[in-house]
Amino acid sequence: MHAWAGALAAALLLATAGSAVAGPQDVLIPLDQYTSATAKNLAVAHQAELLKLSAHIYHCLPWLMVAKNGIGFPHPKGAEGDDRYLSVWVTVDQTEDPRFGQLTLSQRVSAMFSRHGMYLLKQMTQLPEISGDADVHGFSVIVGWLKPGTADAPQQIVETLALFVDKPVLSDFLAKRIPTSEFTEHATLNVFDGKTRVGRVPLQVWEDNFDSTFKLPNYEVDKGQHC
Amino acid sequence: MRSRITGATLSVAVLLLTVGCSAQDGKVWMEHPTHFASGEHAFFSLKNNKDGSNPKVTRLDIDDARNQNWWGIYAITVEPKQILQN
Repeated sequence: MHAWAGALAAALLLATAGSAVAGPQDVLIPLDQYTSATAKNLAVAHQAELLKLSAHIYHCLPWLMVAKNGIGFPHPKGAEGDDRYLSVWVTVDQTEDPRFGQLTLSQRVSAMFSRHGMYLLKQMTQLPEISGDADVHGFSVIVGWLKPGTADAPQQIVETLALFVDKPVLSDFLAKRIPTSEFTEHATLNVFDGKTRVGRVPLQVWEDNFDSTFKLPNYEVDKGQHC
Repeated sequence: MRSRITGATLSVAVLLLTVGCSAQDGKVWMEHPTHFASGEHAFFSLKNNKDGSNPKVTRLDIDDARNQNWWGIYAITVEPKQILQN
C-alpha cells in the first residue's frame, strides 16, 4: 500500500507541477507575459537556443519535467532594476526513497542542486548567443521534488530550491577559480517547503554526473534527437 | 488493455523499487547515482513483443502516463510569483 501510494504521489507531483505535460515549445514563457521590453527582446532573439535547451531536457532528461512557463528570462522577485536571468524550472520525478529521506533539508537541497542544478547551469552556459548577450545578467535554476515523508499525506508537499547567479560568478565557479563558499555567498538562494519560504540554507556542491550519464532502462530517444 | 499493462508494470516496478530501497544512510544516495529512482518507476506504457521481450519506452509514453492525474488533489508547492517575475 505504501509503495503504491508513493508511486501515485509521484505521479500526482508530476501532474501538478506543470499542470500538464507539455512539449519543448510549450514550456517557454509566452512573449506576452513579459513585463519589460528587454525581457521580451531576449526571448525573441534567443528563441532558437531556448528551444534547444528545452528539447534537450525533454528528450534527454525525461526524469525532469519543466514547469509551465518554466524556461525564459525572468528576474528575481523583488529585485531592483530589470536584470534578466536565463531560468529553468524543473520538477524531479522521484518518489519516496528512504536514503534520500534521511538527509537533512540542507543536504537534500545540496544533493538536488549538485545533481540537477549544476548540470542545467552548465548546459545554459553552453548556449553561446545567450551567454554572450550583455542583457543576460545571469542564470537561474529552480528545482522541485517530493518532500520525503509526504507521499502518503492527504496533500503531498514539494520542496523547492531557487538559485540566481550572475554570469561572472558562475563562470569563475565552473572554471574552479573560486571555491564553493564564494559561489554560494554571491548567489541568491531561496528554499521553499511547500509554499513556505525557508530562505537560505547551507549549500554544498559536489560532483554528480547523474544527468550526464544515466540512461533510463528501455528508453528510446525519438528519432532525430541526440543526447 | 494498455491500462492493464501499465498497471502491471507499475506494480512490478514499485515492488522492485521498494525492495531496492532498504534502509541505508543518505550517503549511499549521493554516492550511487544510478540508484536514484527518477523515471525508473513505471509511468510508462511498455511496448513489448508478444513474448514480453524488448520493451521500449518513448518520450510520448512518458507524457501519456504523466497526463493521468489519478489523485485529483494537488500538491502543495511554491507559486512562481513567490520566486520570480516575468
